[in-house]
Amino acid sequence: MSQLSILIVEDDEWLGEQYARTLKVLKCNTLMARNALEAMDILNEHTPDCILLDIFLAGPNGIVLLHELRSHEDLAKIPIIICSTSADTLTLDTLRPYGVRALLDKTTMEPDDVVAAVRKAVL
Amino acid sequence: MKTGEGEMSLKGDVSFLHAASHELKAPLALVRQLALGLEDETIPAKERERIAQQIVLVSERALRLTTDITKTARLEDSFFGLEPCNPHQICEEVAHELTPLYAARGREIRVGRRQGSLLAVANRELLRRVLLNFADNALHYADDDAPVELRAQSRNHGDRVRIGVRDYGPMVPASIWKELESRLGTQPQIVHARPQSSGLGLYLAGQFAAAMNGTIGAVRHRDGATFYVDVTASMQMSLL
Repeated sequence: MSQLSILIVEDDEWLGEQYARTLKVLKCNTLMARNALEAMDILNEHTPDCILLDIFLAGPNGIVLLHELRSHEDLAKIPIIICSTSADTLTLDTLRPYGVRALLDKTTMEPDDVVAAVRKAVL
Repeated sequence: MKTGEGEMSLKGDVSFLHAASHELKAPLALVRQLALGLEDETIPAKERERIAQQIVLVSERALRLTTDITKTARLEDSFFGLEPCNPHQICEEVAHELTPLYAARGREIRVGRRQGSLLAVANRELLRRVLLNFADNALHYADDDAPVELRAQSRNHGDRVRIGVRDYGPMVPASIWKELESRLGTQPQIVHARPQSSGLGLYLAGQFAAAMNGTIGAVRHRDGATFYVDVTASMQMSLL
């Protein structure tokens, strides 16, 4: 099996780096985008196995990116994991049609939760 | 107080608390994630040191916000007297204070050339807080390779002093700018189009400016934005 590729869309680069450090256990390749536009640029070149997505982003937010992804046949299939400080205001049921497989609350999640969510989504 | 006014004030309080808690969540969540990350014993010592520094810098940012909130609550008690201040010097102090945070994020903050600015009638601490707020905000929106610049200049034939924080980055979309302008100094609300931003920082800066008989504003540029505070220039000073 080829190396896993995970796109991290997170406006705080330190938190993005933290996710990347945590995901090292999966021996995956991580791509980083600080906003939805950067994410789309990356997605024009690469098709990751999974996307870790923040909701509050500069410019178009994470919800806009979800709509954008769903509108492309190939990108709509990529499993998405939402990591947000406002996870308590969202529900997985409403996000599932957008390919969201897990909803993690940044304020309570453990580093292992990210690994477990990715593992469950792609492996 | 009439019932209507009471209800409005309560709604304002709830909205303020909502915005404050939202704004504090992001740095606290980041500190927690970084601290949990330190439990990984395989992280090299140098990386560990870097994460520890990030924890300190993010905590300081959160603490600045809590201090601002406390100060807003005390504004009405007139704890903050006005005096002639050198705005250029305050810009230097703010740049100096934020340099470690900017450097850790791989960015630069600097003070622009003096442009005939006079002393400003302001409260040193409040003016510093307003500029810290603007500069902290600029850190998130400026391009990686462009410095953020603080600058003081006289306006209105020397009647006013404008101290601004200029960032260089992509032009802010008109729709977001309109929303931003409408909330300069107004009650904070969650703005989903801007990360980590409920408009609370601008609201606090507006309150601090008003306590100095000043106003805040913003100018949209083709390549970024300037957030500024206008205060009265010190025109009538006597020798002691």
